[in-house]
Amino acid sequence: MNVPFCTIIPPYLLRRLAKQDAPQYSAAARAAKEALGHVKTVHASRTQAKPDTPPALRPAKPGPPNRTVYDAQGAETLPGKLVRKEGGAATGDAAADEAYEGLGHTHRLYADVFGRDSIDGQGLPLDATVHFGRLYDNAFWDGKQMVFGDGDGAVFGRFTASLSVIGHELAHGVTQFSAGLAYRNQAGALNESMSDVFGALVEQYVGNQSAAQASWLIGEGLFTPEVQGQALRSMKAPGTAYDDDVLGKDPQPDSMDSYVRTSADNGGVHINSGIPNRAFYLVAEALGGNAWDAPGRIWYETLTNGSLSTTATFTVFARATAAAAVELFGTDTKEHDAVRRAWETVKVKL
Amino acid sequence: MKISVERTGGIAAITRVWTVEATSESAMNQWQPLVEACPWDTVPRTPGAAAREFADAQPDRFIYSIRAGGRRAALPERAVTGPWRVLVDSARAAAEQERPAGNGTGSTGG
Repeated sequence: MNVPFCTIIPPYLLRRLAKQDAPQYSAAARAAKEALGHVKTVHASRTQAKPDTPPALRPAKPGPPNRTVYDAQGAETLPGKLVRKEGGAATGDAAADEAYEGLGHTHRLYADVFGRDSIDGQGLPLDATVHFGRLYDNAFWDGKQMVFGDGDGAVFGRFTASLSVIGHELAHGVTQFSAGLAYRNQAGALNESMSDVFGALVEQYVGNQSAAQASWLIGEGLFTPEVQGQALRSMKAPGTAYDDDVLGKDPQPDSMDSYVRTSADNGGVHINSGIPNRAFYLVAEALGGNAWDAPGRIWYETLTNGSLSTTATFTVFARATAAAAVELFGTDTKEHDAVRRAWETVKVKL
Repeated sequence: MKISVERTGGIAAITRVWTVEATSESAMNQWQPLVEACPWDTVPRTPGAAAREFADAQPDRFIYSIRAGGRRAALPERAVTGPWRVLVDSARAAAEQERPAGNGTGSTGG
């Protein structure tokens, strides 16, 4: 057994196996120790913030996207059957074609606005798998690619239907390759918020919507008509995206006054993200115009300049955005003031 | 025996709970083997413990908290395989048969 072993067996079982000293388990124990060593290496690499390549060393112009879409055909094996490569004709399958287009739109935002060459800044191919699982009501980033389910048909339709969701998943990749925010507690909520921010920006950029025109909804159109709700989350008004007899009410807080302490959802990463989400919205609202301009630049700089630790708290992040605003626009400028006021409104101390 | 499966996380972060009550002997005969097949003693019991055990969480994936009688387990989605997957899928299917599309409670008395 070698490295792939550790991708399947969870660490607690590896530790148990590694402790086996009976002769018949010696091979398994040795493999487990090797795999644990690999796990530690992976964890160590993920717990170090990785500043992006300095601007002077980046390619002058990001390259074109290199997209590949696969079809899992209802199975849960990745990547699945290749159905569309870069430049290939539309497949006629809505999920596959939405994924392909969504990857392109997201790549374009990062390239055009932030000068970033794909999610790793170095032209990483963009892979996505659609039709994952049976009635699978989720989408996720597995560390290498995006994965989209078709929804259960009762609560959710297919997850490729929302461009902000596609942008959200790709942004997890950007975070992984830049600040490497841990996916737990406040750092995890910041990780989630970054995905919502850049997911929303993809949608706004493609639609050429100003901050005032945008819906600021994440996952609009994913719910079936049976559900009383507009979207998964509202960045403008966290806690108001849905209120349904069966699903309950959107639990997101809109300030630290209603911060949710929980061990569920990796410490409430999708819940407390409402607080930094609203802070970004407030900056965009205060500055007006397009949110991908000054607000987007401040948040992107914060994410990628290497100043954040992987366990950053809301306060650390807020200070980093204020510092980025000063770096980009100067002290006491309207951008700097907008950032300070936004965090004050959501009651995160600077 | 009461069996409950709570699913948190996912990009939507909408908590779903599926509960089954095995109240008759035949229902117990159906559910007991599914419960016994799971290695309860080798997995974390709470979401917090699961987060520590599986530190390299994948963004937007589900987290499951499973209870059967007095036994508890908490697992990230990628560890819900083999007998755990059978138990989770069976509980969800039974609960949704009673109350489609929602957080369901099913009673398998028959």
